[in-house]
Amino acid sequence: MQLEVDITGKTFENAAGERHDVLAGINFTLGAGEVGVLFGPSGCGKSTLLKILAGLDHDYQGHISRPAGARIGMVFQEPRLLPWRSVEDNIRLAAPLIDETKLSALLTTLELNAHCSHFPGELSLGLARRVALARAFAVEPDFLILDEPLASLDDALAARLRDQITTLVGSRPVMTLLVTHNLDDAIRLGDRLFFLSPRPARIVHVETLRTPRADRSEAEVDGIKADLLRLDLAKL
Amino acid sequence: MLRLLSFAIFLATWWIAALLAGDAKLPAPPVVLAATIAEAKSGALFFNLWVTLARVALAFTLAMTLGSAIGYLMGRVRLANRLGDPWLILLLNLPALVVIVLAYIWAGLTEVAAIAAIAINKLPTAVVTLREGTRALDAALDEMATVFAIPRWRTFRHVILPQLAPYISAAARSGLSLVWKIVLVAELLGRPNGVGFEIGVAFQLFDIPLLLTYSLSFAAVVLVIEAALVQPFEARLSRWRPRAA
Repeated sequence: MQLEVDITGKTFENAAGERHDVLAGINFTLGAGEVGVLFGPSGCGKSTLLKILAGLDHDYQGHISRPAGARIGMVFQEPRLLPWRSVEDNIRLAAPLIDETKLSALLTTLELNAHCSHFPGELSLGLARRVALARAFAVEPDFLILDEPLASLDDALAARLRDQITTLVGSRPVMTLLVTHNLDDAIRLGDRLFFLSPRPARIVHVETLRTPRADRSEAEVDGIKADLLRLDLAKL
Repeated sequence: MLRLLSFAIFLATWWIAALLAGDAKLPAPPVVLAATIAEAKSGALFFNLWVTLARVALAFTLAMTLGSAIGYLMGRVRLANRLGDPWLILLLNLPALVVIVLAYIWAGLTEVAAIAAIAINKLPTAVVTLREGTRALDAALDEMATVFAIPRWRTFRHVILPQLAPYISAAARSGLSLVWKIVLVAELLGRPNGVGFEIGVAFQLFDIPLLLTYSLSFAAVVLVIEAALVQPFEARLSRWRPRAA
């Protein structure tokens, strides 16, 4: 199972009728069990790219081959939960066939057991993110898309959630694509890092991390980070 | 408690006004009560209330169902909106009396004509409200449903319908009050029974106690339906909202 992406261009027309090039050259493949990280400046077109990959936007030049019938799980930048359904119903709506033991294991991993019957309006952002994450994993995705799942959380909470994501991603062979602004998160979670240029986005550098996620020591993470900073990616 | 008090104030005001105006213009509560009991004993009161209520229920259901469907379509499909808009504006501004009279002329003095005329009067407001509701649907949630491949019917029931609920309930609330008003006119002009017909008779005979009997019983029925059906339904729909709202 493999995702092949070859997007040669995407233009976008704003309300004033002006045309903007959003994506220029995005070309990569992603295999099952692999975590790809899209790393780039704000507004470079990452969310547009994710929308195309998720099958929400068909208006682009190029070609994408997604395995037929691949189940997609997605965590959007905002949690996008249904405010009128409880946490549990939100998860079950996306994954009606999930079995009880799997659901309760998932809720335990994400520490959501106490919040099952709450409505999303009663949750903090961190909790709502975790619910969105639970929903994405509940569908047992073949292709998992995470759009800045750790943004605007405090460091301690982000670190906990990052560990939970690592656990979940490691628990089944899924193609994962993660968008983040945080180099630390990228190095700890990713197998391959795709660095994007400012708009119109193209891939300017690919960094492949050979050590398995679980075995990366603090020193190694720092070393990789220092190397990448030395590359001075802003200038590429 | 407060409701009882407000009812007592209403009764007291009525009584005082009756004393000032005289029985010929405004009979005091006991006179109207006696007339009400007489009508109730003969069975005419309940029969007429029932007939009117059945008309309201039929016309209201018809207009809400059709109006919601058309409104949703017009909110979603631009072509439907373009085609439907002139009709909508025409219907919105057509006086109720014109619709009722034309319906009776074209379809005869029949039950079908009466119910259709009432429904046509209510239809455009339901369409307009639901169209606005459909335009306000959250595209982000639509995307979520698409990505997670939630089947169409489940999306409609769990994602779309809850967003439309406030609009449906607004359309029902305003529509119900409109139907209450129009049903009496339709009955007055072309039906041989119902509250509207009885009020017409009372007017011709200048039988003010009878007129008040039907008006007040009708108002009582409306209040009971509001309190027993409409308000609990609205409360249930909005139970997920934070309390303060």
